[in-house]
Amino acid sequence: MPGPLTGAGDTPASPPPVAPPLSSAGVAKPHPSEARALLLTALVLLAGIALGAGGFFVERGMATWRPEVTRTTSGWRIVQAHRAPLGGLALGGDDLVWGCGPSIVLMDLRSGRLKLLGPGPASRTTWDPAASQRYVVWFEAVATNAGEASAWVYDSATRRRRQLATLGDVLSLPSASGNRAAWCTTTRGGGPGIVAVDIPSGERFSVAPEYGVPVIDGDLVTWPTRTGPTGMPAAWALVDLVQNRRWAMVPAAMLGNADFLGYDLSGRTLVWGETDPASGRGRVVAQNVDDGVGNVVAEVTGGATLAAAPSIDGDLVVWAETLAAATGSRVMGRRLGGGPSFIVRDVDGRVLSTAAGGDTVAWLAQHGQTTWIETATVPR
Amino acid sequence: MLFWLLVELWVLNVADLLLTRYSLSLGFATESNGVMDYFFKSGTVQAVAFKLGIVTVGTLLLWRVRRYRTALFAAALLTGVFAAVVAYQALWVLSF
Repeated sequence: MPGPLTGAGDTPASPPPVAPPLSSAGVAKPHPSEARALLLTALVLLAGIALGAGGFFVERGMATWRPEVTRTTSGWRIVQAHRAPLGGLALGGDDLVWGCGPSIVLMDLRSGRLKLLGPGPASRTTWDPAASQRYVVWFEAVATNAGEASAWVYDSATRRRRQLATLGDVLSLPSASGNRAAWCTTTRGGGPGIVAVDIPSGERFSVAPEYGVPVIDGDLVTWPTRTGPTGMPAAWALVDLVQNRRWAMVPAAMLGNADFLGYDLSGRTLVWGETDPASGRGRVVAQNVDDGVGNVVAEVTGGATLAAAPSIDGDLVVWAETLAAATGSRVMGRRLGGGPSFIVRDVDGRVLSTAAGGDTVAWLAQHGQTTWIETATVPR
Repeated sequence: MLFWLLVELWVLNVADLLLTRYSLSLGFATESNGVMDYFFKSGTVQAVAFKLGIVTVGTLLLWRVRRYRTALFAAALLTGVFAAVVAYQALWVLSF
């Protein structure tokens, strides 16, 4: 009887032999053409990334708003790096804000990081910004005399920028405090009006149907009224937004025929600066808005002059004086709670403005064609 | 190679969409592409649908004509441009 054709006795047919894997790990290597394709794809990606990154850094290098920033022993020094001078200094929370040409620039005082807040693509003109603890408010327009501007806000908590309101003619710079901002603009009837805006909701309400350059702090809005030829007001208008109450206050401790330098408000204290051009005497006055009691914070005499309007935050008042003997000036400070005035810093140049925020003092100075901003922390 | 370029293009398109949406939400950027601006103003869903749809259709068309060398060049060019745009946007967001 013939045997089975398989010829292996009684065992069933075995499967055909399988070739062992090529690599020890058991994973097939990609075909050389596939590896080349992946490499070329990666090269295309890298070329694109290099192009985009190059464009970003070239654009950044050409930005005219970007200043030179250096850290000092007690703060920051920000020097104009291009032709556009720095201006419109404001301090709010951990942020320092200024204008540079049409640009509105913010610097985080903790990190020194810069941020361009404005103007947006549709605008070419901006006005000096204002800052509160959380918000920065500024105006933008197509042109200075466009007759229509828009108010913008930057929220440092959410890092977002949005349009806050539209306004007519810009009759004052904005002022900001807490969740509110105030300014003067033309109203629908065509006349001037002081308005306040609740920043989170954008709700707008009329403070007074008249012209004024308002400063807001907390619930209080104030502006000088009936100003004479030297700019010195005959009275301060005061409006409490919560109590819906308006009253007037006569300035205390005035110098005769003095030029008015400017004013600021914090809590219930109003401070202003005045200088008598005939005698050269200057004075910084603080006045309580409730009882009207005024105190002379500083008297500048003997050849020195008051160089810039004072600024107040809490109990800290700061101002600037030009020196009697030397070409230079100095930034001064005083705590209203007690103690004498003190030198914050000697400045090799002319101080144009000062700002106080918490224990931080900032000043804008100029020497020749160069403007710069410096900050310093003052002890409690 | 075309396959991987088209995958890359599609992923970069999604990255571009996310970065653009985030930049617009910050209030600092504006969409300069008029068509996309229209869809972003119509709503996020419409913008996402249009942007993903148009690029998906484009990549499928390129894949369909893959036997032509031009398809490969077009895909490489588009991927390079998208990579540049995404790199620029990513650096802008990081610097902000």
